[in-house]
Amino acid sequence: MKLMRSEILYFALRNNKLRVGLTIILFFLVLTFVGPMLTHYDPYDYVNPNGAQPPSSEYWFGTTMFGQDVFTQFIHGLKATFLVGVVGGGLGTLIGILVGFTAGYRGGIFDEILNMLTNVVLVIPTLAILLIIAAYLEVRGILTESIFIGCTAWPWAARAIRAQTFSLRSREFVDLARLSGMKPRKIIFTEIAPNMMSYLLLVFILQFGGAVLAAATLDFIGLGPTNAISLGLMMNYAVLWGALLLGMWWWFIPPGVAITAIVGALYVANVGLDEVFNPKLREM
Amino acid sequence: MRKSVFSLMSLFVVLSLVLAACAPAATPTPEVIKETVEVPVEVTVEVPVEVTPEVVAYERSETLYVSGAAWGPPSDWNPFITWSKANTTGTIGLVYETLFMYDPLTDELIPWLAESGEWTDANTYDLKLREGITWSDGQPLTAADVVFTFELGQKYAALWFSPTWNYLDSVTAIGDYDVQFNFTDPLYQEWASNLYNIPIVPKHLWEGRTEEEVTAGANENPVGSGAYLYESHAEDRNVWVRNEDWWATSLLGLKPAPKRIVDMRFASNNVALGAVIKGEVDLSNNFLPGIATLSEKGYVQTYFAEAPYMLSANTAVLFLNTTKPPMDDPDFRRAVAFAINTGDIVNVAYANLVKAADPTGLLPSLAKYVDQAVVDELGFSYDPDEAKAILAAAGYVDVDGDGFVEAPDGSKIELEVTCPFGWTDWMEAIKVIANSAQDAGINIQDKTPDYGAWDTALTTGTFDMTLNNWAGMSNTPWTLYNLLFNHPIRDVMGSGNFGRYDNQQMFDLVDQLAATPSTDEAGMKAICSQIQELMLTEMPVIPLWYNGLWAQYSNAVWTNWPSEAENIPSRLPCTWSGYWQMGGLLTLTELEPVPPSE
Amino acid sequence: MRRYFGRKLLIYILTFFLAVTIDWLIPRFMPGNPVQTMLSRAALRAEAVEVMYGYYTRAFGLDVPIWQQYLNFWNALFHGDLGTSVYMFPQPVTKVIMRAVPYDIFLLLPAILLSWYAGNHFGAFAARTKWLDNTILPVGYILTATPYMWLGILLAWVFGIVLGVFPIAGAYSFALRPHLSWTFIRSVLHHWFLPFASLFLVMFGGWAIGMRNMIIYELEADYSHYLEALGAPRRLVRKYAFRNAILPQITGLALQLGVIAAGALVTEVVFSYPGIGYLILAAIQNQDYFLIQGCFLFIIIGVLLANFAIDIAYVIVDPRTRLGMTGEAA
Repeated sequence: MKLMRSEILYFALRNNKLRVGLTIILFFLVLTFVGPMLTHYDPYDYVNPNGAQPPSSEYWFGTTMFGQDVFTQFIHGLKATFLVGVVGGGLGTLIGILVGFTAGYRGGIFDEILNMLTNVVLVIPTLAILLIIAAYLEVRGILTESIFIGCTAWPWAARAIRAQTFSLRSREFVDLARLSGMKPRKIIFTEIAPNMMSYLLLVFILQFGGAVLAAATLDFIGLGPTNAISLGLMMNYAVLWGALLLGMWWWFIPPGVAITAIVGALYVANVGLDEVFNPKLREM
Repeated sequence: MRKSVFSLMSLFVVLSLVLAACAPAATPTPEVIKETVEVPVEVTVEVPVEVTPEVVAYERSETLYVSGAAWGPPSDWNPFITWSKANTTGTIGLVYETLFMYDPLTDELIPWLAESGEWTDANTYDLKLREGITWSDGQPLTAADVVFTFELGQKYAALWFSPTWNYLDSVTAIGDYDVQFNFTDPLYQEWASNLYNIPIVPKHLWEGRTEEEVTAGANENPVGSGAYLYESHAEDRNVWVRNEDWWATSLLGLKPAPKRIVDMRFASNNVALGAVIKGEVDLSNNFLPGIATLSEKGYVQTYFAEAPYMLSANTAVLFLNTTKPPMDDPDFRRAVAFAINTGDIVNVAYANLVKAADPTGLLPSLAKYVDQAVVDELGFSYDPDEAKAILAAAGYVDVDGDGFVEAPDGSKIELEVTCPFGWTDWMEAIKVIANSAQDAGINIQDKTPDYGAWDTALTTGTFDMTLNNWAGMSNTPWTLYNLLFNHPIRDVMGSGNFGRYDNQQMFDLVDQLAATPSTDEAGMKAICSQIQELMLTEMPVIPLWYNGLWAQYSNAVWTNWPSEAENIPSRLPCTWSGYWQMGGLLTLTELEPVPPSE
Repeated sequence: MRRYFGRKLLIYILTFFLAVTIDWLIPRFMPGNPVQTMLSRAALRAEAVEVMYGYYTRAFGLDVPIWQQYLNFWNALFHGDLGTSVYMFPQPVTKVIMRAVPYDIFLLLPAILLSWYAGNHFGAFAARTKWLDNTILPVGYILTATPYMWLGILLAWVFGIVLGVFPIAGAYSFALRPHLSWTFIRSVLHHWFLPFASLFLVMFGGWAIGMRNMIIYELEADYSHYLEALGAPRRLVRKYAFRNAILPQITGLALQLGVIAAGALVTEVVFSYPGIGYLILAAIQNQDYFLIQGCFLFIIIGVLLANFAIDIAYVIVDPRTRLGMTGEAA
């Protein structure tokens, strides 16, 4: 099962899914960093006195009903999307790892309690919790939203990691370590975790995508950041101001396409990576 | 495998059946059936007599579809639960009626259930009811019903018009059609608005009710005197059907054209916009962005053919929290007034759907109470240079060179202007306010908390600056001043003066206005002039623009909509709660069906 | 077996207790006072506001100490009483929710089950079928990556506005009253289709991709190769692979329910479909403690019930679980 690094790289470069997925993500990532140099507006500035206008050489993605530059909003929205993905997805994975490893490795009463915790988080409508947070903070930022998403999105990751840990726990090399008197925490980090690295990477990618979609949902129903721009908020505003009905497609299509493309590319890359790590899955 | 999938499915089916069993049956029929079981066989023949064929599909050409009034699902038809009236608009106006109607466009009280009413002396109001009015159950509407209704307010403090009894002493029926009201120190202005806002309910159906039923009961299947009857409702609609025996048809020759009114509730204005474009709504009172575009494309008609398209319905004012420095300084407040680019709010945030407000904040329908001399002298308009000059003269200077002025004592000024998140037009408006104030050197940031947090900050006075528009169209400038200068100052200011402007002189003037007879126009104007002078000097609130009486109509099925054009009725084309008796109902009587095309 | 379910049941009850407690706490931690908010909309004279404030605070049971409110809440809950809605005053919350539930069942059950069934079968079929794997599966990736509301709005736009073949709001025509006739049923289905389709499509994509990946794992597992080496027909091998691959998909269904509930919420909002999701948004916007609490309680119960059903289904499908029940407590 263990592959040489060079071998992984070789297959990674040859894997079409991974190549397509990474290219798309890289494209948006570059856009996020280069974009601000291409625009000299602020996302909410009224730059076009004529209000809504379709894409033109002056305004690449057109302008909103109030004459805000859609491209500028889009670029800043992309940044928010990646931030939510990294922070929210990362946090979700981290909590999932902690809970999953502990439950899976320790078993018994630990497992029961953590399982219960997982269940509770799973059934509690996360929106409800966001409500309190929203109300307390009055004004929400993207970072708050990310942390919130991370704190509520971990249950499935915890369950998956728990199952993986279970199966690894009974492997010979773990038994060996245990017999040699290693502490549980050390076993988890030195013996089990490295063997699951690839799996954890896959979990993170899925969490990343999930966080982006969750943020879009929250933004859309008006529970997103109240002091920033994001792709979900762009959609929210576009819908509120009747963009589609009034034929202002340029306001609405880019954020949706970007979210779908980024998340879709992540999923594709995820499957590609799986094939790289797991030779059996490679295309015949 | 197949088998297990099916067993899984059957599990879900069982689950769904269990859940479905919990749900109430869709058609309520049990009453009739119960009787058939109890009574002897011979009688069962009589039982189905009550069953009238239910109309289940509405004829398009006889039905008026309206939207934009309902905030939530219809939940009660009790004319005394004020805040939910927004959900079942028409409970007052279509079912329960008021003694008078009021037409803001002509500033006239129109006798309605009352034939006439007048102050016979300073403390006595005599009312004469129309003869021949009946409730929809056939009982006559008499003076006893009016007395009963007003006395409900005396009995139950939880009714909104209960404070009227602070100055109302007694209501007496004189015969069947005359009512006499006796007062001590009456608030004439409020009384006039009571006349067209208090719904009269039938004594014979309400007298047996408990306090809870009167003040908070759902009052299903309401019996009123109005032009329409309740027919049915669901989460997203309320259906009214015409009362063919309506008194005004024989007494006044009025008959509303639509047989049915379907009041639709849409979750978002976006959906409402879609319905308007598809011609599914005849009259939409939603705030719909892009009306100019739709109007040009011929999708909709509006009251004015050009900007601002809509009549003005209420004034959006900026409340400044006068308890917080530097907003406790009238000079600073005046500087803010000059710093706000109202033109941008009107042009950019609203795309010319609204009009900038008069500096006094009075609606165009009350323009006669504006003292133009005072406005000419003290009025404000967008002028950043003037704002800067006022600031400089009052000692507000940019000490640390960050582009924003500091207070005369050197402290930094950092203020927030707020509105609830999701109120999209206002969110754009406060952005304009913040940006233009910053350009004038005043550091104001826009913030959009959630409604609950915003409301708490508003009523407990913890905000800096915020928008509000809770004084709607009415017969008197007192309505606006009662919102702006509500007093005394309490811990929770629930119904006005959110900025806690504390000035006894102003309070006295407002009280004086309230006690001026509505007929004494000169007296009212004199007091209004003083209020305006004080208000524009002190600037505790800044009137910014008039929110529109959003109304867009389709001529596909119904025509002869209100419009500024000649030979066309000038009425308020509005279904909002409280507007039926301000022209909404009369609009219905003037509609004409479009003849079916050949 | 009994011990297994007994323990499961205990865990479910504990989870329920905890979740409901948190559910009860949530609205009470919100700043802002619902009665005040409700009254402030009525723009009344100050005297009236004060009297009415006291009156309604008592009416909603908000005048007793917080612990008392908590006990009252459980007591009322066992009597099926969830309080009175503030936003839809004076309707009881139970009644409001019960009116919305049929729409949810009608929308969600077919969408979840059909997408799960179709997605799994399609995914299994597409796996290792090169042309399908390269043509239709990418569509699956796009679908599963699409935010629910975006797909919903695109569908509403294309089919509702541009083509004008489907309505975009409500559960049945505004020109009809509920009754038993083809016209009405047709209208209901007509309004149901777009929200159903947007939920179905997004979920379908997810299940298809998941199954495709799972089945490849299984087809490459040792037992599959062994079977093939023994000369078992390809169909048989695939059948076994499917059987094993379906297990994680069942677990996946349980884990996805929360996400699906959120997805249903935005879909209902987009199409103004009068289910629980639509209610929740209104309740949130209007600070309706009791309605928020009731709706979430309902979701909690729904998710728990569905989880329990899935647990049972799992036992039926996977014999190993049955074995594990009597063995160690893993």
